[in-house]
Amino acid sequence: MPSSRPRRLLALLLSLTLLGAATADARTLRLNITADPAMVDPITFSELIAGDIIANVYEGFTGLDADGNVIPALAERWSAHDDNRGFRFELRKGVKFHSGRELTAADVKWSFEQLLIPGNKGGLNVKYLEAIEGADDVKAGKTTDLVGVKVVDDHTVDVRFTRTEVLFPIYPLYIMDSGIVAEHGADWHTKVSAGTGPFRFVHWKRGQEVRLAAHEGYWGGAPAIDDVAFLVVPSDDTAISMYEAGELDLVYLDVTAGRRMLKDTRFKDELMLVPAAQIQYLGLNQTKYAPFKDRRVREAICIAIDRDGMVAGLYGGAAFPLYGQVTKGVAGYNPDLRPIPYDPERAKALLAEAGYPGGQGLPPVKVTSTAPRKTEIAYYANQLKTALGMPVEVEVVERGTHIKAMNAGEVAFFPWGWTAGYPDGLYFLEDVWYGPSRYNRSRWSNAEFDALIEKARETADEKARYALYHQAEQILLDDWGTCPTTVRMQIAARKPNVHGVALTPFRFLPFAKVRIE
Amino acid sequence: MPPGLIGYAARRVLGLVPVLCVVVVLTFVANQMVPGDPIATMLSDQSGDPALEARLRAEYGLDRPLVEQFLSHVAGILRGDFGLSFRYASVPVIEVISTGLAVSPILACAAMALALPIGVALGTFAALRRNTFADTAVILVLVAGMSIPNFALSAFLVYLLAIRFDLVPVAGWGSIEQAVLPVVVLAVAPMAYIARLTRTYMLEVLQQDYIRTARAKGMRERIVVYRHALRNTLVPLLTTVGIIFGGLLSGTFVVETIFNIPGLGRMAIQAIFARDYPVTMAIVLLFTLFYAGINLLVDLLYGVIDPRIRLGGDGR
Repeated sequence: MPSSRPRRLLALLLSLTLLGAATADARTLRLNITADPAMVDPITFSELIAGDIIANVYEGFTGLDADGNVIPALAERWSAHDDNRGFRFELRKGVKFHSGRELTAADVKWSFEQLLIPGNKGGLNVKYLEAIEGADDVKAGKTTDLVGVKVVDDHTVDVRFTRTEVLFPIYPLYIMDSGIVAEHGADWHTKVSAGTGPFRFVHWKRGQEVRLAAHEGYWGGAPAIDDVAFLVVPSDDTAISMYEAGELDLVYLDVTAGRRMLKDTRFKDELMLVPAAQIQYLGLNQTKYAPFKDRRVREAICIAIDRDGMVAGLYGGAAFPLYGQVTKGVAGYNPDLRPIPYDPERAKALLAEAGYPGGQGLPPVKVTSTAPRKTEIAYYANQLKTALGMPVEVEVVERGTHIKAMNAGEVAFFPWGWTAGYPDGLYFLEDVWYGPSRYNRSRWSNAEFDALIEKARETADEKARYALYHQAEQILLDDWGTCPTTVRMQIAARKPNVHGVALTPFRFLPFAKVRIE
Repeated sequence: MPPGLIGYAARRVLGLVPVLCVVVVLTFVANQMVPGDPIATMLSDQSGDPALEARLRAEYGLDRPLVEQFLSHVAGILRGDFGLSFRYASVPVIEVISTGLAVSPILACAAMALALPIGVALGTFAALRRNTFADTAVILVLVAGMSIPNFALSAFLVYLLAIRFDLVPVAGWGSIEQAVLPVVVLAVAPMAYIARLTRTYMLEVLQQDYIRTARAKGMRERIVVYRHALRNTLVPLLTTVGIIFGGLLSGTFVVETIFNIPGLGRMAIQAIFARDYPVTMAIVLLFTLFYAGINLLVDLLYGVIDPRIRLGGDGR
C-alpha cells in the first residue's frame, strides 16, 4: 500500500475498533470467490467454490495439465486388470502430506472408506466409488472395511469393481492423510491440512477469506508464491473495482460482469477466455408436446435459432456457439462437427412439410426455465414466434420446482445445462442423453445411442472410446434429439505481473506454477 | 435508579415480546408460502439421488408435520439455534451468520457517531444565520445529502478516492482505512436529516420566552445558545435517533454489498438471492431485535431526561 495515504488523519477521524488487519504482501495471490465455500474438506465436498479451494490442497490419482489433458498425479502408473474389472495403481514415491508424513497405499483405502461411511455425509464424489466391490456394505453402515480396495504394498493398491469402470483413474477422488481424524477429531478440516497438494489450508474466516500457504515439500516442487488468499466478494462489480485498484491479482467473473471487462480495452491483455465444460441444450420432450415427435419440427426449431446472434446479443460476446453435446476442451470432443446453420427459410419449409405451414395447427407450448434464464427463454419464444409462427409462451419457475419437474420428465420445452464432473465427454453423453439416466430430462431415447454408450463404458482404449462418443453424438444430432445452443465463456483476468495462471474448461488449475513479479 | 424508572423499563422490555412473536410467526409463514422445494434446489445436479434427498429432508426436519416444524423452530430460537442453512447444506445458520453479527451494528453506530455531532453543528450553524447566504448554502448541501442515493454516492466516492487517487481501499473490512468510505457514505443521509431537524428545533427554541429572558438578563450569547437553546433542542432530536437507526440498518444492506463488508446486511442480500430462507429469517429477527433494542434505549433515555414520561407510563 502506498504510504501517501493520510493514515493518521483517517485514524483520528474514526475511532473504531475493527477486526484484525489483513494486509497482503507481494507474494500472496489474491483472487475473488463469490461466496464462502460450503465446506473445505474433500469428504463432504459438493460445490464449485469449495472445489476451487480443495483442488489446491488435495490431489487424486490424476490431474489435468493446462490444455485439459489428464496427467499422472499421485499415481505414477496404473494398469487395468486382465478381466477389465479393476485397476492396479502404483503410487508416486516420496509424496509428502502437509503433516510431513509420506503418502502410502493405506491412505488411499482409508480415504475411499471415509467418503462412503454414512455418518461422514460424503458429497459429490461418493458416486465415483459406487462400482467398487463392497462399497454398498460400507455405505449401508454394515462395515467400514472396503473390501474392493486392497493394499498390495506401501506404494501399490488394487481396486476391484462389480462392473467395468474404465474412467476410474480420472475421477476426482482426493486422497487424505489417514492420521488426521484419529489425531484431531471430527472437525479436523478447520484445524489442520490433510492433503498432498501444492498448498496447505491455513484458515477460513467466514465472509472474508480462505487462506492457503505454500507446501514446501510438494512433490512437484515448492510453489513460487507464499500464500493464496481466496477473498469472498459477492458483488462482481466490487471485484472489478478491487482488481482495478490492485487489491486483487486475479479475478474470475460471471457472464454479466465479465461482459463489461470484455468490452473494456484496458483489460485486453489481461483477460483469459476459455469455454466452460458445460453443455447447454434445448430439451424437446416428445411425450409432453406431440409435434416434437416429428423430426422435421425438431430440426426446424434447431435451425431457426441464431446461435451467432445469441452470442453477440444475448451474451455480449461471452459465449461460443455449440454444435454438439461435448464441449471443447473436454476429452472426446469432436472438432469436426458440422456447424448448425441459421436457416429460417429452410425451417419454415420443414414446418410446412410437417403439416404446420406458418405454424398453423401447432398447439401452444411453454418454454420453461428459472429466473436467471428469463431473457434466454424470452429470446427463444420471440424467435420461434417470428421465424416460424410457433405459439410459444415463456414460463419462469422456481428452481427446486423446475428441477423436480424436469427429473420427472414433465417439462415439454426447456433450455438447460449440465456441467462435467470429470474431464471426459462421457459425463455429458451418459448423464444427459443415455436412455435410463436419471438426468435424461427431455426423455429422448434411442437404442443405438444407448448401445454405443454401453460399449464406450467398457472401452479402455481412449481413441476407440472417443470414436464411440463421436458416433453416439452424431446419432443424437442427426435425429435432432436436441438443439445444442451455446457454451458459456469463462472470463478471468490477471494482473500483468502474475504469471503461470491456467484457466481450463474446469476452472483454474491449482496455482502450483504461479509466479508474482 | 428510581423505582418509577425500573417499572417503566420493565414495561418497555415486556412490550418487545409481542413484537418479536409477530416477527417469528410472520417469517415462518412467509417461508412456508414461498414456492418451491429447497431440498431439490440444494441437490441440483444430484437431484436424482433419492437416498441423499431423504437424508437431507430428515436432517432439515422437512419430513415432519408443519406444526411440529414450527414448534421446533420456536424452541430452537429460544436456544439460539436458527436451524440449518439451505445454501450451505447441513451448516447451522448460526455458524453462517456468527462472524457478521457485530459488523452491521458497529457500522451503524460509527455512522451515527459521525452523523450526530456534524449534523447538530451544521444545523445550529444554519439556524443562527437564518436567511443568510450561509444558511441557504447549508440547506442546499443538506438537501443534496438526503437526495443522493447511497449506492450512487458510493460508486462516485470509490471511483474518485479509491481508484483515481488511491487514498483509501476500494473494499474490505478489517482496517480503519477500509471503514472510512462505508461509514462516510452511511452517515451522509442521517447527518443531513439531523442537521435539518436541529435547524428547525433550534429556530423554534430560540423564539421561546426563556431565551428572551436569558438574553434580557445580559447572558453571553454563547451560553444562551449552547446551554439553553441547544440542550432543549437535543430532547426532541433523541426521539428521531431511534428512527434514523432503522434507516441506517437498511443502509448497511447496500453499503456492505458495495464495500464488501462481511456483515449481516451483505449476508441478507446473498441469502435472499440464494433463497436461503433460514438465514434470511434469522437476520430479519436479529435486525428487529437490534432496532427494537435501540428504540428501547432511546425510550429509557427519554425517561431519564423527562420525568413526566416515566411517571405517566406510556402516556406520551
